[in-house]
Amino acid sequence: MPVFTSLDRRPAAAARALQLTGIRLDHRGGDGRPFRVLDLAGLTIPAGARVGLRGASGSGKTSLLHLVAGLIRPDAGSVSWGDMVVSDLPVSARDRWRQATLGFVFQDFHLIPELDVAANITLPLTFSHWRIGPAEHERAAMLAARMGLTDLRRKAGVLSRGEQQRVAIARAVLLQPALILADEPTASLDAAHAAEVGALLVEVAIETGATLICASHDTALLARMDRRIELAAAPVVPVESAA
Amino acid sequence: MNPFPMVWADIRALRWTALAIIVLVALAVAVGVAIGAQERALRRSSAAAAEDFDLLIGAPGSQTQLLMSAVYLQPDAVPLMDGRLLNTLAQDERVAGVAPIAFGDVSKGYVIVGTTAAFAGRWGRFAPAQGRLFAREGEAVLGADVSYGLGDSIAPSHGVLGATGRPGVAHEDEVGHRHAGHDYVAVGRLPRLGSPWDRAILVPVESVWEIHGLANGHAVDDGRIGPPFDGPRIPGVPALVVKPRSVAGAYALRAQYRQGGTMAFFPAEVLVTLYRALGDVRSVLVAASFLNALLILAAVLLLLIAVAGLRRRRYAILRALGAPRGYVLLVVWLGMAGLIGAGCVAGLLAGAVLTTALSGVIAGQTGLRLVFAIESQEIVFVAALLLVGSAITLVPALMSYRAPAVAGLRD
Repeated sequence: MPVFTSLDRRPAAAARALQLTGIRLDHRGGDGRPFRVLDLAGLTIPAGARVGLRGASGSGKTSLLHLVAGLIRPDAGSVSWGDMVVSDLPVSARDRWRQATLGFVFQDFHLIPELDVAANITLPLTFSHWRIGPAEHERAAMLAARMGLTDLRRKAGVLSRGEQQRVAIARAVLLQPALILADEPTASLDAAHAAEVGALLVEVAIETGATLICASHDTALLARMDRRIELAAAPVVPVESAA
Repeated sequence: MNPFPMVWADIRALRWTALAIIVLVALAVAVGVAIGAQERALRRSSAAAAEDFDLLIGAPGSQTQLLMSAVYLQPDAVPLMDGRLLNTLAQDERVAGVAPIAFGDVSKGYVIVGTTAAFAGRWGRFAPAQGRLFAREGEAVLGADVSYGLGDSIAPSHGVLGATGRPGVAHEDEVGHRHAGHDYVAVGRLPRLGSPWDRAILVPVESVWEIHGLANGHAVDDGRIGPPFDGPRIPGVPALVVKPRSVAGAYALRAQYRQGGTMAFFPAEVLVTLYRALGDVRSVLVAASFLNALLILAAVLLLLIAVAGLRRRRYAILRALGAPRGYVLLVVWLGMAGLIGAGCVAGLLAGAVLTTALSGVIAGQTGLRLVFAIESQEIVFVAALLLVGSAITLVPALMSYRAPAVAGLRD
């Protein structure tokens, strides 16, 4: 896509292989007793792959995404990004890694409704920069145009659901992440918008060479992925030695 | 990092709640500022009004009452003392000037004060702004705020104790107590003093005595006024104001006239006692308003903690998007401390407005002109609140800082 690649002045952090090894993740249930959410012997996702996560509700799709994002640490096992063992990093280092590497797209978009489209797209820049330079503004505008958004001054709160998810995708890819995580990105959209958004998401991932991991029930979206992983519902058995 | 776009978004999200927080804090600050500033303004202007009254001598009684009557012209029944003292003091070498202050009559609600031309000009400190000082009986000099014009005829009435006349408005009682045939003619107007004397009509003390059927204090009635009062009978006066030549002389005079049927005091010593009481009241009120402000801050804190709780998810999203914890801390803290800061600034302004309004009321009642000034006391008051406010808003900020992002995402 020439329009897009011409914007990539900075070399994007190259995607690396994502490796999950011997993962066990436990949660505490309502009765205070721990139960196992995830039990993965091993999973390797090569750099630049597009992977769909499928599974019934409660099968741990979201937990797996949070694990990969470094938002939670596994009770056992490790998550590695290339040579870096993300799950062993302290909180602030994981924050830095996340900002440098990750783009996140949520089911419910989670834009800041009081900010306009441009400010929502550039929001991740303010985590590390005081000023947003003209080049970044330009990139945000191009991204918005790429997503079919014309009016950058509209408040996010007044956008349609489809538009909101497109802003969210633009926000996720602003910093040219090497890894894009999407949690049910089409589940809150009607079929037509879901198809558009799903297509855009896969396209930007291809354009930037980023690894895309997409948890979804949407068979059309999953069909766009080059690999699908079925997560079996975790066995609801009490765990004896949970932290 | 630049948390301000998010801070702004958070404040916009609060809308009316943000405004309510600012207004609440502003009210708390304004009350504290107004009390402090008002008390100081009252103290300063009342001290300034007493400037030309170095030593007061009167019949034994309440010093405060004499001070209020002679300096601040609050009508009261003050016992008279022997008028011969006027002549004795005039001849005393420790005395640079002495003048009677004879009150009791009113006209259109303005107090008529019988004194000497020398004291009307405050012993040469100022000249009339218009016209001239009185030079013979039946002439009057107007205070700056008196609504009579030069050349107007002023009909005096016997003042009625407790009459609630307003300056510039003839009370109905005045008509019944009019001294018929003793009108004054206004010949001059004094510059503005910022004291109750701006609402007084100054006349020769001889005229006051004569209107009340007394002698005029002079041996020969040739229309001449002012000292020496050398007549065989000098009528009594409620108060004498004495300008001593030296500090030592002032203390000697004060000691001497504290016995033998008179009392003598420096207005400053009475004012210091009054100010101490006033200052105590001020301290209590300021402390109460500070506690009051703290209570409001505590209520605001509870509100902000609730808001931060509701925003758990919002901040968790930021963390998932790559925001460091410090960014979230700054967003929460700057937003909330900013609201409290805005309340403090608005409170200073509201305090100024409140003080000015109160000063207007006090000026209307007493004639004292109060000037609002923000000084270190108010700044310290506001700075202390700001400091406390900034410190307590760290609580919700730290709560958001410590909250694990994933908990917010799972809500």
